[in-house]
Amino acid sequence: MHGPNIGWYIVLAGMLFVIGAIGVLVRRSPLIILLSVEIMLNGANLALIAFARHYGHEDGQVFAIAVMAIAASEVVVGLGLIVAMGRRNVELDVDKLRTLRG
Amino acid sequence: MRTIDAAAWVCLLAPLAATTTIALLGNRLSRRHAGYLSTGTTMISFAGAIAAFAAMLGESPAARAHATTSWTWLSAAQYHFGFTLLTDQLSVMMMLIVSGVGSLIVAYSVGYMDGEDEERRFFAYMSLFVFSMLLLVQSGNLLLLLAGWGMVGLSSYLLIGFYQERPEAIAAAKKAFVINAFGDATFVLALFLLIQHTGRLDFAGVFAHSPHGGTVANLIALGLLGGALAKSAQIPLHTWLPDAMEGPTPVSALIHAATMVTAGVYLIVRTHPLFEFAPKVADLAAGLGAATLVMAGLIALVQTDIKRVIAYSTMSQIGYMFVGAAAGAYPNGMFHLMTHAFFKALLFLAAGIIIHALTGEQDIRRMGGLGKAMPHTRRAFLVGSLALVGIPPFAGFFSKDSIIAATLDRGAFGYCLFAACLAGAFLTGLYTFRLYFVVFGGEQSEFAKEHLHKPQGKLEGPLSMVWTVTALTGLSAVGGFLQFGRVWHPLTTWLDPVAQPFVDASNAKEAIASICAVVLGAAGIYLAHAVYAAKTIKVPKPVTLLEKKFYWDELYDALLYKPAELISQGLGRLVEQPLIAGSIGELTRGFRLGAGGLGRAQNGLVRSYALAVASGVAILAVVFLSTR
Repeated sequence: MHGPNIGWYIVLAGMLFVIGAIGVLVRRSPLIILLSVEIMLNGANLALIAFARHYGHEDGQVFAIAVMAIAASEVVVGLGLIVAMGRRNVELDVDKLRTLRG
Repeated sequence: MRTIDAAAWVCLLAPLAATTTIALLGNRLSRRHAGYLSTGTTMISFAGAIAAFAAMLGESPAARAHATTSWTWLSAAQYHFGFTLLTDQLSVMMMLIVSGVGSLIVAYSVGYMDGEDEERRFFAYMSLFVFSMLLLVQSGNLLLLLAGWGMVGLSSYLLIGFYQERPEAIAAAKKAFVINAFGDATFVLALFLLIQHTGRLDFAGVFAHSPHGGTVANLIALGLLGGALAKSAQIPLHTWLPDAMEGPTPVSALIHAATMVTAGVYLIVRTHPLFEFAPKVADLAAGLGAATLVMAGLIALVQTDIKRVIAYSTMSQIGYMFVGAAAGAYPNGMFHLMTHAFFKALLFLAAGIIIHALTGEQDIRRMGGLGKAMPHTRRAFLVGSLALVGIPPFAGFFSKDSIIAATLDRGAFGYCLFAACLAGAFLTGLYTFRLYFVVFGGEQSEFAKEHLHKPQGKLEGPLSMVWTVTALTGLSAVGGFLQFGRVWHPLTTWLDPVAQPFVDASNAKEAIASICAVVLGAAGIYLAHAVYAAKTIKVPKPVTLLEKKFYWDELYDALLYKPAELISQGLGRLVEQPLIAGSIGELTRGFRLGAGGLGRAQNGLVRSYALAVASGVAILAVVFLSTR
């Protein structure tokens, strides 16, 4: 098998995931949080594809494509909401957006 | 279906039809028509009983028992109990008494209850009562008999508490129900033993397979006796009967004459082989009957409520029946049950006319001199009283004296019973005629002058009340001629295949018993006349022991009610308050605190939620990795 060992892929995927998670936790702009969630999803996708390659199965790739499709639709909805909020001059800060806490 | 079975079903189901119709139609049925419906169906029931009796006359004595099963009522493992009616000599006799006297009493109620609120409910209950009693006497196995037994208790509860706005009536109804429930419980225990030892509950099978003698036989008889004592108001389960006078007068008549209290005597006669297997228990039953008849006679001497005096006389007369049935003189006990049904219904219904005329007054101290105003009622009451005391040729003479004679055939114990019965005869004369002279004799009392109101016309009450009392007067006068000692005994012959007596008093014993009883009864009447009518002897002061009814109520209060109250109060203070109420309070406080703390975690900050999720996943990851 060519290319680096599976371990490297997993480390890279873990780093991507952690970077995304830190972004979700520390940033306050919903736009950036959405972006960070995408990074986390990509980390997970990388791990799926790495394992698919490692075991010689296509299942992981199929899952990755499904995740991409879902992530794309999620971004459409999320971005739409954020743009709508921006147009209505709502302050884009998740710490202030807490009126729905119930 | 044979005629006799059809007649038996008609007899049983007609009163039930009245109950359901009245209950279902409600307001659409007028009050008057509810009464007529109830009377009519009870008479149909009587017609059914007569038809069954007539069909039975044409058969040979050995082939007169007919069982008819409509369906298998209860099936469990290898036990199957059918909804079976048994029509034989004994049950047909009870059917005739229950539906015959019952229909007279229900007809009487049409006049007595006229204008009362809720007449419909009254008549529905009355029909239910008659149905329950018919189910009791017609059932072909002990399980169905138990069902009727319980329903009689229920109906009596409903009717005693009919005036539901009166607290005393409710208390009396509850008392009757609880004491009867105690009797039901011992009855059920006896049935359990029978199932365990014979595996069946039909009469013939039980009698054939039940153990002869020994502890089990004694326990079975004792359980049945407990049920009979409670239903028939004998010592020590008698205290409910006088209180049951809170119900309307026709109800008292129904309870005392046609239904309920006679059930105990019927049970003993019906299951007499079980008592013959346990002679000690039979002796106990006779002894309790004798004790009751003397005690009730003594208490009746000082009662001042007209219905209560008659109620105590019922207890006393049922005591005679117990003595007769338990001493082995079954036909004599049944004979007295029948004549007693006539004259006790008569006395109650005549008393009802008086109470009705005096707008509800029942205290005999406020009555007096009613004889002149109500001569017909006085005559009816006199016939009933003479029949009760047992003066020839009225009904009680024939039936009571045959029981007293039978006791002479039972050895030493029989002589004790004989003495008690004679004492009872004297007391009966005394208290019955005390009542008669106080109510009817002398000058009219102030209260009577003021309140006595007679309906327009020649009658002393509504028509339905007068004709039923007249009919019962006739029955009380001539009903006794059905049987006379050893000379003329169709009833004994009739009942012979079902309940063969094992005592047979000789002619000499019959004569001795009759002479003693009549002389003592007459002496009682003479004494009552001297004290209450001629006033040659001063009225003695009532004895407190008698006024307190031998302290039975107080005894049960101290023995059962007080300890139960103390225990429950103690449990309430020591267990319920600190443990249950306290722990519930603490638990709710804990939950409130916890919920308040958790609620603060829901702050609406998305990032703190994300942190919680992330840390949760991190912890799970660590846990899974470390426990792999």
